This record gives sequence, C-alpha cells and structure tokens, in this order.
Amino acid sequence: MKLSTRELATLAVFGALWGLVEISLGSVLKTIHFPLSGVVLSVIGLIIALVGRVFVPRRGSTLFIGVIATLLKLFSLGGVIIGPMVGILTEAIMAEIVLSIPGKQRRAVFIMAGALGVAWVLLQPFVTGPLLFGRTIFTVWLDLLDLGKKLLGLNPSFAAWIVGGLLVIHLAIGGLAGWLSWDIAKLLQNRLGRPVQGF
Amino acid sequence: MDKYLGTVGYLAIFLSSIIGMMVVPAQRLPWVAGVCILVAWRIYPQVFTSLVRLHWLIMIILLSVPPIFLVGDLDRSITGISYSSEGLLSGIQIALRILIVLISVQGLTSSVDISSIAGLLEHAGLHGLGFSLGVAMNLLPTILKSAQNAWRSLWMRGGLRKKRWRALRLLAVTIFVNGLSRAEEIALAAEVRAFSPNTARSMPIKKGKWDWTILTLSVLVVFGFVFIP
Repeated sequence: MKLSTRELATLAVFGALWGLVEISLGSVLKTIHFPLSGVVLSVIGLIIALVGRVFVPRRGSTLFIGVIATLLKLFSLGGVIIGPMVGILTEAIMAEIVLSIPGKQRRAVFIMAGALGVAWVLLQPFVTGPLLFGRTIFTVWLDLLDLGKKLLGLNPSFAAWIVGGLLVIHLAIGGLAGWLSWDIAKLLQNRLGRPVQGF
Repeated sequence: MDKYLGTVGYLAIFLSSIIGMMVVPAQRLPWVAGVCILVAWRIYPQVFTSLVRLHWLIMIILLSVPPIFLVGDLDRSITGISYSSEGLLSGIQIALRILIVLISVQGLTSSVDISSIAGLLEHAGLHGLGFSLGVAMNLLPTILKSAQNAWRSLWMRGGLRKKRWRALRLLAVTIFVNGLSRAEEIALAAEVRAFSPNTARSMPIKKGKWDWTILTLSVLVVFGFVFIP
C-alpha cells in the first residue's frame, strides 16, 4: 500500500484522534469503572476510523489508523494497556475486513463494520481474559451474565436470552455508530468543500 | 545495556514474556514469572520502582482475590473464612500474569522509543507509518487543545441544553475539521520540502550486538517451557 503525503497526514489525524480518546477518556472511564466503558470507547474509535476511511478510501487505511492509535496507546502512561491495545487493533482489523470486501463505500457497509467492531467488545474478555490474565472462561461467563442481569434485568438462568440480548444491543449500538460516521463524513465533506469518493 | 540490546532484542524479550505467559501450562507459570522478573531486574531495573504504586496493588487484588471465593468448592478455611484451594491457585496465577504483563509493557516502553517500533513496522510493510506517527504525536497537543476549546465554546453557548445529539455531532465535526486543516498544512509543508513517502528513508531501528542472540534465546526458552516435559 503506497500512500501520498497528504493521505498519510490525514490518517495521522484520525489515528491521533482515536489514540487521544483511548489515552484520555479511556483511562478516565476505566478508573471510575464506568459501565460499558468498552462500548463507549469502541463506538468513538470506530466513528473516527470510519470517517477516516471516507477521506482515505484505500484498502488498509482503517487498519493504518488502528495501528497509529495502538502505538500511541502503547506509549501512554497508566493502566494495563495490553487489553485496550488488543481491542483497538482487533476492531480496526474487523472494520478493515468488512470495508474491503465490497468495492464501493456504502452506508450499509459502514453500519456492518461498526456493528461487528462493537460486537467484538462482548467477545474480547473471552479471548484476553484466559490468555492474558488466566481467568477461566467460566468466570468471564459469570461476569457476562452479571452484566446482562444488571442491564436487562433478566435472571442469570436465562443465559441464552441474556447473551442474545447483549449481542443485539452491541450490534445495534455499533450499527448506529456506522450510520453516524457516514453522516459525519457527509457533514465534513460539506464543511470542507472537499469532494470525497463514495457520496 | 543499550550498547548490547536494540529494538529487536527488547521486542523479543517483550513478546516472549507475553507469549510464554499465554501458552505455558499453568503449573509452570511461576517459573515463567521468575525468569521474567530476573531478566527485567537485569535489563531494566528501573521498572520495579515504577511498579511500586498503590493503584497496581489495588488492581492485582481486585482481579486475583474474587476467584479465591468463586472458583471451585470452598474446601478450606482460615480464621473462620472459607476459601477454595483451587480458587487460591487460580488467584495466584492471575496475580502472576498481571505482574508479567506489567513488567513486560513497562520494560518495553521504558527502553524502546516509539520511532524504533514505527521503523520496524515500516520494514514489515507499513510504509509511511513513521511519518504518520510523527505527525500524530505532534498533533496530539493541538487536537487536545482544539477539542477543549470546541467543548468549552459549546458549553458556554448552552449548546448542550437543547438538541444534544446535534450539538455532539457538531462538536465532532469541529474537531475533525480543525485536525484535517492542520493535516493539510503539514502535508503542504512536507511537499514543499520535497518530501515523498516513496523515496523517504525508513525510520532508523536501534541495533544491538546481542539482538539476534536474545531473539534465538527467547524462542528457545518459550519452546523449552512449553514442550520439555
């Protein structure tokens, strides 16, 4: 992938924005144990990455933004940063895969990329928990059921309903993020008076 | 130590610690932790002073204590408090893993600078990453300031009282526009100086005498921990 100077600078802006959100807001939300902080960060990050994709409509540009944000997070102070780093990179990879499949940019593709990216937040503890922190799948599962109980008010014995409900919520929030990113990109296009491919 | 170890060496130590911790059987984890602590103590001793903080201790306790009472049967008791021996082992494992992650990350970030990592990734195929990363790092304070200004002006004009959704969207657009116009200036300045990402040299990678030896040793140690019975 060969990018021009202008494209590299544009990707740097979006990478810096995602990195900044993860460094500043991410640290604050994790410290105060804000509920669903992962979803909030993932939504903001994906909106930034997807808007970035509109401005640099090249294969690999979303991943490039994710790599910049990951490196900025790696060299930031505070917290266990391996989890968020894995999160940023995986979300960027998922969005990149979805965006790379169809040739043309469309709102529906953005919605799908956002939905899958945010859905990863639900799955990530099952991967990083056992691998990085030695937590058993069972403990992670119990945490998930507890979250479902708090959010949906369902008894933990309705495990399938809880998982299904949480998945739908995550997919819907992610889809909304994708929808919003398309709108923001359009607004930006109007504001900057810059022709952007795809609209 | 910088004379002997370069980016590849430090990265090999970091990755072997993390991979080792992830793939090694649970009963060998104390050995992995021991090796990691020994290596870190020899290579980057400054890490230990930065790790002696209350928030790390609280985090380790928060993550490792619950399994003592939640995992397995409560088959033992101490001063009237029942606990699970299986959970205790699990809690110790979690604490060791967190310790390894903390030591590895702090060690890597205190010994290697961000441009070296960018240089390594550029060699791996992400051309222009060094330039982008440099721009991103220089942009961080500008973007932060611009975001704060936009937020304050929105707040002071009462923009968040009504139509909050619209206000937040406008806030995002303002931050994006400021960032993009700054990027435009940087790109123009780079082009005026005849910078081209295709002809520019990659970011330099710090090299050390023992890099490849350390890399080989790291691979062997991880394989040893996993496969030697």
